[in-house]
Amino acid sequence: MNRRDVIKSCSMFAVGTMFNLINFEDVLASDSDKGSYKVYKKTLLVKEDGTPLKESDIQPYTAFLFFYPFKSTPCYIINTGHEVKPVEVKLKDGKSYKFAGGIGSKKSIVAYSAICPHQWSYPTKDFSLLNYYSPTEKSETTGKSGVIQCCAHISVFDPTNGGTVLEGPAEFPLAAVVLQEENGNLYAVGILGKDQFNEFFDLYKSDMIEQFGSLEKAKEELDKTVVMEVGKHVKEQIKC
Amino acid sequence: MSKNRLNVNRRDLFIAAASVAASGMLDVSVGAVSDYKDFRSDKKAKIVIVGGGYGGITAAKYVKKQNPETSVILIEKNPFFVSCPMSNHYLGDFYEFSNLCFPYNNLTVKYGVEVINDRVQDIDLDKKIVITPNFKISYDFLILSPGISYDVKEEEKPFFIANPPAFKPGGEHLYLKKLIDEFEGGDIVMTVPAYPYRCPPAPYERAAVLLNYIKKRNIKAKLYFIDANERPVINSEGFMNAYYDLYKGYAEYVTGTYVKGIDAEKKVVKTTNGDFKFDLANVIPPMKASRLIEKIGLLESGQRWVEVETFTFESKVKDVYVIGDSARSFLPKSGFGAHMQGKIVANNITEKLTGKKAKDELLMVLCYSMVSDEEAIMSETSFKIDKATGKIIPIHREDNVRRKSTVKRYNEWARGLWRDLFG
Repeated sequence: MNRRDVIKSCSMFAVGTMFNLINFEDVLASDSDKGSYKVYKKTLLVKEDGTPLKESDIQPYTAFLFFYPFKSTPCYIINTGHEVKPVEVKLKDGKSYKFAGGIGSKKSIVAYSAICPHQWSYPTKDFSLLNYYSPTEKSETTGKSGVIQCCAHISVFDPTNGGTVLEGPAEFPLAAVVLQEENGNLYAVGILGKDQFNEFFDLYKSDMIEQFGSLEKAKEELDKTVVMEVGKHVKEQIKC
Repeated sequence: MSKNRLNVNRRDLFIAAASVAASGMLDVSVGAVSDYKDFRSDKKAKIVIVGGGYGGITAAKYVKKQNPETSVILIEKNPFFVSCPMSNHYLGDFYEFSNLCFPYNNLTVKYGVEVINDRVQDIDLDKKIVITPNFKISYDFLILSPGISYDVKEEEKPFFIANPPAFKPGGEHLYLKKLIDEFEGGDIVMTVPAYPYRCPPAPYERAAVLLNYIKKRNIKAKLYFIDANERPVINSEGFMNAYYDLYKGYAEYVTGTYVKGIDAEKKVVKTTNGDFKFDLANVIPPMKASRLIEKIGLLESGQRWVEVETFTFESKVKDVYVIGDSARSFLPKSGFGAHMQGKIVANNITEKLTGKKAKDELLMVLCYSMVSDEEAIMSETSFKIDKATGKIIPIHREDNVRRKSTVKRYNEWARGLWRDLFG
């Protein structure tokens, strides 16, 4: 690993001691909510043809969908087009955690779990109510752009600010997918924030069994995950 | 065509009632009254919730979740939950009744809420005891979420049994659906009381859904839609456009008109704007707080709704809260509003128990309405509080464009609520 690679791999954490993911917990030890980061299997992001996804494949202002950390739990990866700076994400209960900003050459790439933390809507094969609105696309309901918005109960999240809630009934921010860049390849390595996976698997148990054969299979972690245009997985993106 | 799959017979109801009641029997103290100060020392506060609708379930779940050491008892007369939101879908024949029904079991299994299937007869607010035919249950905190009662005269009751308003979920909807399915044509009379009543858009949605029903089946019928209000109280533009565009010739919308009386024998609804003969009637009467609330003296004379503290929903009696459609609130009477109030009260009780300041809940309501079997409209109101003046500023948004995509949002809106209630 050369110096440049080290800088790349550390950019997500915005701190200098991130060679080992376990150390990330140490960093969070200074946070009020120490349990906000969970390490999952290190998963390579690949294109639909199976080759590794590169930064240049993620065009700005477009959300792409992939599954992480489980084969059934959807996430969005977004190139916001500009640097996403580190931020301390504050929760309503007074706790907080550090979101380390974007990765990539412009530090503009971020990823979030696409399970709404309000009442757990998520992009299914039929439709998605939780969608990304580019900076040039204005929500008819909230008038907001450059946001992730759930049209079931109008919760709005800021992808450039750690997934924080801009408006609506969601109690928690979107959980962030922690990304790493190594030798030009992108990896998902963990989840930061209040993930909703327990609720997801509990509430959608029958859907998971129907779709994957068993809950255990739905909870499989992946070595590689395919990053695709949202429309490849979701028939209808419902925006409002 | 989808039909009711529930098929609940008398025996099933009895078994369900008995099993739910049994689950709550062990921890019921008979006649014992806790001293208010005691729970602080042993941290075993007892919270009793009357009414297992949107407000009561939410309050029970969240207060127990936030305070696992407390004893939380939910008393509900029905053996399972039936949702009023989405019930017009069932009446319109594009949703199965069973989709509206949920068991209370998960509240007990997952959260440890004791659910007692019984009817509350009385409450002794001085001794802090809730009285049912089978139990006397003491409490430290009482949350009343009993819903509404119809404000009708005693002699009118047989008419409303034979022609249910279907604004209380369950049997009334099943019976009204039977009447709709047996309707062969003629005049339908539907009436809307003056606002406030339960669920502002519901009568207007029901009118659209009934019109869709008769139009799709080519039933020779006309709907006389008699509204005490001057226009639809919400989504006025969207509803009026739907009535005009989709159902022209099928309906007559008579506004600013009140029901004066009903001649059940002659099948006539008498109004301030003339008499209307009916072959099918859905008279939605004025509503008021539940009779239980009146009985225990929380309803001031001449009032229809209970006065509560604006932001805590605490009644004039300390540690007794009234939430949902019985309370007078800036939040419109709706399942969504009651759900929100349930969270607010749970937070407030947690604050009293722990001394830690509760987090603020967002104050908002979202309403979706079907205008046909394929399209829906929606509205959203959020409430900002000016902390300096205490003034409540509503910010209201409507989407009156009929959209198929809004139907999906509507379905997910309801499923999300149900996930929150029962998940």
